[in-house]
Amino acid sequence: MGIKGLTKLLADNAPKAMKEQKFESYFGRKIAIDASMSIYQFLIVVGRTGTEMLTNEAGEVTSHLQGMFTRTIRLLEAGIKPVYVFDGKPPDLKKQELAKRYSKRADATDDLSDALEVGNKEDIEKFSKRTVKVTKQHNDDCKKLLSLMGVPVIEAPSEAEAQCAALCKADHVYAVASEDMDSLTFGAPRFLRHLMDPSSKKIPVMEFEVSKVLEELNLTMDQFIDLCILSGCDYCDSIRGIGGQTALKLIRQHGSIEHILENINKERYQIPEDWPYQEARRLFKEPSVHSTDEQLELKWTAPDEEGLISFLVNENGFNSDRITKAIEKIKAAKNKSSQGRLESFFKPVVGTSVPVKRKETKCILGSAKPVIKLKAYSMESSFQFRPKVIASMGLPTLDLGSRQSMLFSGSFCFGT
Amino acid sequence: MLELRLVQGSLLKKVLESIKDLVNDANFDCSATGFSLQAMDSSHVALVALLLRSEGFEHYRCDRNLSMGINLGNMAKMLKCAGNDDIITIKADDGSDTVTFMFESPTQDKISDFEMKLMDIDSEHLGIPEAEYHAIVRMPSSEFARICKDLSSIGDTVLISVTKEGVKFSTRGDIGTANVVCRQNTTVDKPEDATIIEMNEPVSLTFALRYLNSFTKATPLSNMVTISLSSELPVVVEYKIAEMGYIRFYLAPKIEEDDEDTKP
Repeated sequence: MGIKGLTKLLADNAPKAMKEQKFESYFGRKIAIDASMSIYQFLIVVGRTGTEMLTNEAGEVTSHLQGMFTRTIRLLEAGIKPVYVFDGKPPDLKKQELAKRYSKRADATDDLSDALEVGNKEDIEKFSKRTVKVTKQHNDDCKKLLSLMGVPVIEAPSEAEAQCAALCKADHVYAVASEDMDSLTFGAPRFLRHLMDPSSKKIPVMEFEVSKVLEELNLTMDQFIDLCILSGCDYCDSIRGIGGQTALKLIRQHGSIEHILENINKERYQIPEDWPYQEARRLFKEPSVHSTDEQLELKWTAPDEEGLISFLVNENGFNSDRITKAIEKIKAAKNKSSQGRLESFFKPVVGTSVPVKRKETKCILGSAKPVIKLKAYSMESSFQFRPKVIASMGLPTLDLGSRQSMLFSGSFCFGT
Repeated sequence: MLELRLVQGSLLKKVLESIKDLVNDANFDCSATGFSLQAMDSSHVALVALLLRSEGFEHYRCDRNLSMGINLGNMAKMLKCAGNDDIITIKADDGSDTVTFMFESPTQDKISDFEMKLMDIDSEHLGIPEAEYHAIVRMPSSEFARICKDLSSIGDTVLISVTKEGVKFSTRGDIGTANVVCRQNTTVDKPEDATIIEMNEPVSLTFALRYLNSFTKATPLSNMVTISLSSELPVVVEYKIAEMGYIRFYLAPKIEEDDEDTKP
C-alpha cells in the first residue's frame, strides 16, 4: 500500500514539509477523501468481535455504513466539506499487486478456518481481519448513504488517489485526506494524514505540502516520482537492496532512474527483469482522471431526512432515535462553515515588513532545536536579593538542565 | 544587545494576560522604533497586533533588529511573578537563546531575574493595509466587555450593525434572541464614559462571540475601546496602551453561505 517508508524518509529529510494542525482548524475547507480506503478500514474495525460484525436483520454487514455515517458527521460538524472519491477500474499495472493481495486473502481464509477449528481467539480476529474485502455492494451502499446525507461523491475512472490529487490540483478542494502516501506522488498539492482518526486518539492532523517536500528534498516532481518508484510503489517491484534512503542518494547523484541504471553496480543490485518503471511513472504523471468541470461539480446539499431514515432505520436496522439526532447534527453543522479566514483579507508579506535581517537575528537568538523539544521547557529562575551576599555568587547551577534541577529539588524534598 | 526598561511593568503583565489564550507562540520583534508582535490564532481567524513604542520605555536599547520566539503561556507565567508596581526590564544578549526578565520592586529592596528559553517559530507575517472604515465606534471598554459576555450566554455569534441610530449588537440562540443598542452619548461627566459613533456608511457584520470575548481580556489596559467596521474587512478592536502604543485585534467576519463562490 502506498509508498514504502516515505513518511519516515520525509520526516528525516524534509521535516519542514510536514506540519501538525488541529482538526478544528479545517473548518470551511473542502477536502477530498479516498472512499474505498475508508470503507476498507470500517469493515476491519467498526463493531467487530472475532468474526462477528455489525449486521442488519438480513445478516448483511453494516459496519461500513455505521463508520461512514459517524465519520462524515464528525467532519461536517467541524465545518469541513468532504467529497468522497471511489475507485474505478484498477490500472493494468496494479493487477499484479492486486493478485498478490488476493492470494494473501486466500491464505488468510485458510488460516482463519484453521484458527476457527483450534479456537484461538487472537488468531481468529487477526485472520478474519485479513479476509476483509470491499465489494461493489459495500461501495454502492456508501454512495447511497452519502448522497442521502447531501455529500458529493465522485467516481474516478481509475485510481481514487489520482482523482483526489487532480481535484486538489485544479483547486476544487483545499486538500486530499488519506492514509496512503501515494497522494503526494500523484502530486496532490496539499495532503492530510490522520484527519479521520477518531478524536479519542488525540492524534493531530499532519499536513504535507508537496511544493515544500520538493524544496526540502531539492528534487523536481519527476525526480520525486522516480524516488517513490525506487522506494517501492503499488505498480512495480523495487530493486532489492534499495530502500528510501539509498534511493534518495541515488536520485540526488544521478537525477533519474535511467541514469541510475546506467551507473549502478548491476552485480550488487539485481534489477528485476521485467521492470515497468516507465509505465509506473506514466501512471503517476498522467493518471486517468476526470478533469472537466461538469464531471467535477461539487454540491453540498441539505440531508434527505426521510430517505436516511428509511435507508438506515428500516432497511438496515439502525436505532431510529440515534439517526434522528444525527440528522439534527448535520443540519446544525450547515451553519458552521461560514467563518471567514484572515488570509482572504490580508496577504502574507514575505520579507518586506521584516527585513532579511530577521533570518540573521533568528540564528543568533532563536535556537535551532526542533520545536517539539521545547515543550519539555524548563524554567530556570534565580532570585537575587541584592543586600545578601548569596546573590553575588553567580550560581553556576543556573546551567543545570531542567531534569537535573528537578531531580535535585525532588531529592531535597525527600531529605527534609 | 537588547535592554528595555518599563517603569509601569503592570502594562506588560496585562498585555500578556490579554493575548496568551488567543495565541500560543509568537515572535516579538524589537527594532529601534519599538517592541511589537503580530500573531494569528491557530485557525487563522483572529490576529493580534501589539506595539509598544520605544518612547514609552524609560530606557530603550536595541542595537539591531531582533525577533524572539516566545511561548506566551510561559512568558505570562513568569510575568505573573512580578508585582503590580514592579519595574520590568527585558534583556537579551547577542548569541544567546534566552531572554531575561528582571523585576525590581518600587523600593528597590527586591530584585528578581527570570530567564526564559526562546524558541524557533515559523510564522507568517500578514500585511495589513491602512483602510478607511465605514464606521468607527468608540465606547467604554467595560461596556463592550459586558455586552459580549451577556450575548454569549444566549448565542454563538453577534451581528454588529451601525446605523444613524447607534450601534446594535444582536444574537440568536436556542432559548431566544437578544438586542443591545448603544446610542451616541457625548454629554457625560467623564470623557471615558462617552460613546462616539463616526459613520460614513451603514454597516452590519456577523462575528463569533468566542473571539470577541477573548479580545475583551484586554479591557484592563484601557478605559476606551475602538471598534472599526467595514463591510469587506475584518473588524478591528483596538485598546490604547497608556500613551505608548496599542493592542489591536482583527477578526474575520462570518461569511454568508454561498456555495459556488466559497474558496476551497
